[in-house]
Parts: sequence; C-alpha cells; structure tokens
Amino acid sequence: MLEIKPIFNALRRSKVSTFLLLIEIAITLAIVSVSAFVIVDRINYLQQETGYPEESLLHFSVLTFGDVDRMQQIELDEEMLRNIPGVENAVFMQDVPLSGSGSASSFDSHPDPDMENNKGIRAAYTAGDENMIDTLGVNLIAGRDFRADEVKFGLSSENRPTVVVASKAFVDEMFPEGDGLGKTVYFGRSPIKIIGIVEQMKGPWLQDSRSDNVVIFPYVETRSFDHYVVRTKPEERTAIKRQIEELMLANYDKRVINPARGFDEAKAEYNAGDILMTRMLMVIIVVLVLITIVGIFGLTLFNINKRTKQIGTRRALGARKSDIIKYFLVENAMVCIAGLGAGALGAVYLGTLLLEEYSLPALDNSFILYTALFVLAISLLSVLIPANRAANISPSIATRSI
Amino acid sequence: MFFHYVDLAWRSFKRTPVVSVLMVLAIAIGIGITMTSLSVYHMMSMDPIPHKSSKLYAVQLDTMDDGEEWWTEDNLPTQITYKDAMFLNDVDLPYRKIASTRTGFTVHMNSSEVKPFLESARVTGNEFFAMFDLEFLYGNAWSKEQYQSAAPVVVLSESINEKLFGGEDSVGKQVYLNDEVFQVVGVIKEWDIHTKYYDLNNGSFNSPEDLFIPLSLIKAKELTTWGNTNGWKYQEINSFQDRLNSELLWVQFWVELNNEQEKQAFSEYLTNYLAEQGTLGRFEREKTEFSLRNVNEWMEYNNVVSEDNRLLVGLSFLFLTVCLVNILALLLAKFLRRAPEVGVRRALGASKSHVFAQHLVEVSMLGFFGGVVGIGIAQLGLWGVRSTYSYFSALATMDLSMLFAAPMIAIVSCLIAGAIPAWLVCKTQPAIYLKTQ
Repeated sequence: MLEIKPIFNALRRSKVSTFLLLIEIAITLAIVSVSAFVIVDRINYLQQETGYPEESLLHFSVLTFGDVDRMQQIELDEEMLRNIPGVENAVFMQDVPLSGSGSASSFDSHPDPDMENNKGIRAAYTAGDENMIDTLGVNLIAGRDFRADEVKFGLSSENRPTVVVASKAFVDEMFPEGDGLGKTVYFGRSPIKIIGIVEQMKGPWLQDSRSDNVVIFPYVETRSFDHYVVRTKPEERTAIKRQIEELMLANYDKRVINPARGFDEAKAEYNAGDILMTRMLMVIIVVLVLITIVGIFGLTLFNINKRTKQIGTRRALGARKSDIIKYFLVENAMVCIAGLGAGALGAVYLGTLLLEEYSLPALDNSFILYTALFVLAISLLSVLIPANRAANISPSIATRSI
Repeated sequence: MFFHYVDLAWRSFKRTPVVSVLMVLAIAIGIGITMTSLSVYHMMSMDPIPHKSSKLYAVQLDTMDDGEEWWTEDNLPTQITYKDAMFLNDVDLPYRKIASTRTGFTVHMNSSEVKPFLESARVTGNEFFAMFDLEFLYGNAWSKEQYQSAAPVVVLSESINEKLFGGEDSVGKQVYLNDEVFQVVGVIKEWDIHTKYYDLNNGSFNSPEDLFIPLSLIKAKELTTWGNTNGWKYQEINSFQDRLNSELLWVQFWVELNNEQEKQAFSEYLTNYLAEQGTLGRFEREKTEFSLRNVNEWMEYNNVVSEDNRLLVGLSFLFLTVCLVNILALLLAKFLRRAPEVGVRRALGASKSHVFAQHLVEVSMLGFFGGVVGIGIAQLGLWGVRSTYSYFSALATMDLSMLFAAPMIAIVSCLIAGAIPAWLVCKTQPAIYLKTQ
C-alpha cells in the first residue's frame, strides 16, 4: 500500500542527499529538544511565586556620611515615607529579599551546635520593626505579628531579640511534624521563639537551594548601608519612585540615596543571565526550525528535479497525482523517522552529558517525544509544496525528450 | 590560476543568484549565531594579563578544622583571614605579595559643586599597582611611611579624577571619603580589564574599583568590607578588634613568583607558617593545606565562564552544522547540474585536481561572503545580548581576533561542507557528457 520497498530501493540510489536529510533532522531534534527543555526549566524558575506583591514594593539603600544620630534618623525617615500619598507602609530593614545580597546562617535545634543530635538548618535572615510583615505584604498564616515592645533598638549581648517570624518552608524543615509554632530554635546559642509563620517568602538569593527559608528578627540596627522598603499602591509606584531621592535628601542631606528599584526590577536584574539564556535559546530554536524547513524544502525540490522524467513516466503509466504526492510524503517520513531515531539517541546523550557536567536537571524524555512529533510535522509540511509541484508534472514530459 | 577560478566562481555565482544568496544566508546565519556566543565566551575566558598571568598566584590557606567543608572543588576557602593576610603582607620576603579587600565610601568635595556619590574602593598595599601593571598618570603610590602611619591618602582612577578635578593633575589635592579628608597621591590610567580576576567574589565582570587606599586604614578607620565575609565557626564578636582577630574570611591575597624556585620557597614558607599557626590552637588539622593558583587557573577554579555560556557555544556549533548540511545539499544540487560543463573541461585537459580546486575556490568564496554577512548578524546578536543584560556590555563585543576568526570559521566550515560535492563533480567521466552532445 505504502510502497515502502520500492521507495527504499530508490533512496539507496541517492545516498548522499538521504544521509544529509537524516543528519539535518537528527541534529535539529537534538538541539530543539534540549533547548526547549532548558527554556521551560528557566521559565518555571523565573515565574516562581516569591510571596511578595512585587509590583507594589520599592527598595532603596542609603549611605550616610554626615554626623547624625542614625537610629533617630531612621524613625524620621520612616515617618516621612509613610506620609507620602500613595504609600501603604514603609520600613527600615537589614537585608532585602530578592536583591541578591543578604545574610544567612544556620539555626540550630539545640543550644550547643556541636551536640550529636543537633539539627542545623540554614536560612536567610533579616530584621526590621513591627511594620516589617505588613510592609512586605506577605501572608501570615499562623501565629501573630511582632508587637512594638518586642523590637530591639541597637543590638548588644544584653539586648537581643527573643522571638522571630519565619517562613513555613523553614519551620517545616526544622519541625517536620508541622508543630513548629511556639517552638524554640537557637541562633548563635541564644534561644528564640517562633511566634508567627508566613506562608511563603523568598530570601535574597533565588538561586539558593534553600531560597524559601527566611527568618525575620524584630530589631533595628545600623550598618554601613541602610535599606528601606516601601509598599505603595501599584499604580502610584512609578511616581513615588521618582520623588524618593529628593524627599530623603530634604529630610537629611549628608548622605547618598541609591536609586529606588521595584522588587520585580531587582528580581529581573538578579535573573538577567537566565532571561538572556532563555532568549538566546528561543532565537536558536526559531531560526533553526526555519532553516530546517527551508533545507527540507530545498532537498525535496532537488530530488524532484532529478527525477522529473521518472515522475512523468509513472504518471504516463497511470499513477494519479495523489500517488506522486504520497510517494514523496512516504519517502520523507521514512528518512525523517530514521533521523528522529538517531536524533533521539543524540538528545538523550546530550541530556546525560548536561546532567553530569552542568547543574541542569535530567532531561525529561517527553520533551524529545513532543519535539520529534513537531519535527515530523514540519518536515511533512515542508515536503507538501514540492510534492505538489511534482504531481503537476505532465506525463508528456516523459515521452517528449526520448 | 587562482584568479581565474575566482572569476569562474563569480560567474557561477551570478548564474544562480537565488541559490547563491540562500547559501550565503545560511552560512551567515550559522556564523552569526555561533560568533555571538563565541565572542562572549572569548571575552569571558580571555587571559586578562597575558605576559604575567603565569607569575601571579592567588593564595588560599586552609585555616579551618578538619571536616569543615567549602563549596570549592578542593574544599579550600577562596579568601583568607585578616590576621593571616596582614602577617603575610608585612613579612619580609623577596617577592611582591599583596593583601587586598573591597570597601567603599561616599565621595564628595565638601562643597555643593560635586553631588556626593558612592564609590567602591580597594584597600591594599602600595605594590598592588606594580603587581597588576597599573600605570600612573600623575603622582605615585603611597610611601612605606604613609602605609605605616596609616595616613589618609588615596590613589584615584582616571575617570574619578575627571569627575572630581576635571582631569587635571590632582596630586596633593583633597577629597572627602565619607566625612574624612584624604589627600590624593596618585592617579592611575584607566584599568582596562573585562574580568575582575583579582577579586572574583562579587561578580566576575564588574568594573575594577576607582579608589585605592592603604591597607593599614582598615584598622585605623575601622573599615568594613563591601565584599563577602564567610565564617566557619561560631565566635563571639562584639568589637571591631574582635572582628580583626576572628577566623572570618574576607581578604584576598596575591603573590608574584617569578620562577619555580620562588614558588618552591614560598610554598615551604606557607607550610611552616600554617604548621606554626596550627600549634597555636587556631584550628585542628592533620596536615597543612594551601594552594597557589595562577591567574588562568584561578579563573577556571572560580568558574568565570558560566555553564550557560559553554552550553550556548556547544549548541551554536551544532546549529552551524545544520546550516552546513543545508549548504552541502544546495552545493550538491548546483555542482551536479553543472556536470556537462565539467565534462567538457575535463575533456579539454583539466585534471581532476584542477576541477576540485576550482570548486573549492568557489566554496571558499561563499564562505567568505557568508562570514562577512555573519559578522553583521553577530553584531546584531551581541547588541541583543547587551540590551538584555547590561552587566555583559563590556563582554558582548567582538575584538579583532574574533572579527578575523568569523570569516576563517566560515571558510573552513564551507570547505568541509563543499569537499564532498566538489569531489563528486570532479569524478565526472568526460565521455558520458561528450556523447550526449
């Protein structure tokens, strides 16, 4: 029915062009499936939930060089920021989520970390006053927020925070039974009680293997850089962003205000490398598919030109137009399937190579399957036009030149 | 003969303009994509200081207890403690060795003319400039006396000098770093490096610092680092002095060793030093461990070229292969159609090798045109890279060697692709074609 045997015999007479088509299909499959896999992996990473209303949040940092009581200045600045129309809340904080810079430490289940049965879990930590949870706009699912009297101003060995609010991921990792609320963990040997649990909040580094582990302390302490986070109405963020430097300098001018950035902007900057990779791979896929289409088109055309007489003879001997079209479709499908087989092997090999050499997850074989179906489809489609042209070859051609 | 072939190639080009343009386009797109990723790769992996890279060594010391782990492949921390850094910096040995770290200040002139701005600064020894080949535009590095007395002196980069003093000789003038007065002692020429190889902690492709101040100011002015600080054990730190005495790792250390003997001697010195520190009870280790890596080894060790980039280079070469397969197919069609003409040439006395050479010349010309157009496409690609990722703006460019490499790669790959069709066509039997005519 499909005349596979004669088609196969005919293919054996044009080994070079068959082999070329096979190679082209194989490499295309390998590149497209691996690239698509990496793209999907990156897009999932880029679109993950962070737990913050990113479009409403602004962050800026300040370096003060003048001689001023900075603790007092922080209060004045927070007051001023909260009074800007359109601002929901503002807070001074130690390290800012999604910014790519911050602090992390191990939190222990036991006061002496050297104890045999101690469990140490790494988490990013930051600190701020009782406005912190509200400003960040995260979802407190258990326990309570900080009270104003729990916030410590200026740290010392006598003046230490005793409570924290932590992310669910951290609490659950520390207390797998899910009863972490109200329990005590140890930070540098001093005990702290978990009073609140936040559904989700990401730390400063999205690429961290424990990016969901975040602990928030209630304290205010100055370091070289002062970080402020402002939550605005989303539609007024751009306007507020422009005023911040001026307003902060009007409050006190012996300092430098770094330009304010939205949380989403900081995230995009932190992930710029991944965004770039995704775009480049997309370009490669699109251009490659186009080139493959043109390539298959050209090869088929070449085959048809070579066989004009034979096609004419077949038509003269009674073959219908559809028979000719079918012939080229079957021929292409045969080569294509062989190429896809080779390409699938190549893709699997490439996948294991990437798994071993790079920090990429194992290639999901369904990507190869879907890509293979896609390549088969475009391959058959790009044969259609030349095959149609072949079908229109007049039977008289066969007789004319003899 | 060569020019005759070029002429023939050009005629053949004009005879089938569509196919020729398609072929040039195919090679150009392949080269364009490949050169885009290859150029970034080339810039990332380029030796930043070629004539000296094998003499400059990054020093790593293992001052942690046995069993402590680090994320590096050999478990050595990438920075060292302040106390080790200061000791090794000050000890009298016959080669250049420099501790340095990154900090930063608000820079201003205590007047309203220049708006205060933030600038990162390198705190280091006065031999830093000689070690990393920095030339002075004005003045000099600070003196040994200034180092010992922790004098507030600063060396500016050309661009900061332009910004603060309009580019004139500013030696002896004053500048404010935070709220302290610093005296300018020198201005260096712009430090033109893509990779910040001497401190890879906070992004390998950030620009170098624009301010340089003496190492002794860390203690005198209680400077905090703007780079990474890593710890491996819990220590109570309540004062700045505690911090300096602690086991925290936050200083980079480089040494310039001119030959194997010096390297040997310094290695022995470090072995003894670490053994001695071990006996003081700072850390518990079975054996002393340290490492000296030269600039290129250091960049490799710190994975300066990202995995993504290697992957892209690999994929784009595969992509180029697909383009070549297409060109091969087109060439096959084109050359074989010309078999009768070749038959006549062969009959008139052209040898196989002549015919082969003629076709290779034609293929090379295709490659050359494709390479040139490919450079244009690569420029477009690099522009795309720069606009997506401004951090790469210095890297996403083609230098001369890449501009030269583009047509070379194009021609070589076209020759590989063209060899088969050229071989097939030169095997043409003259007799067959003479008969039919």
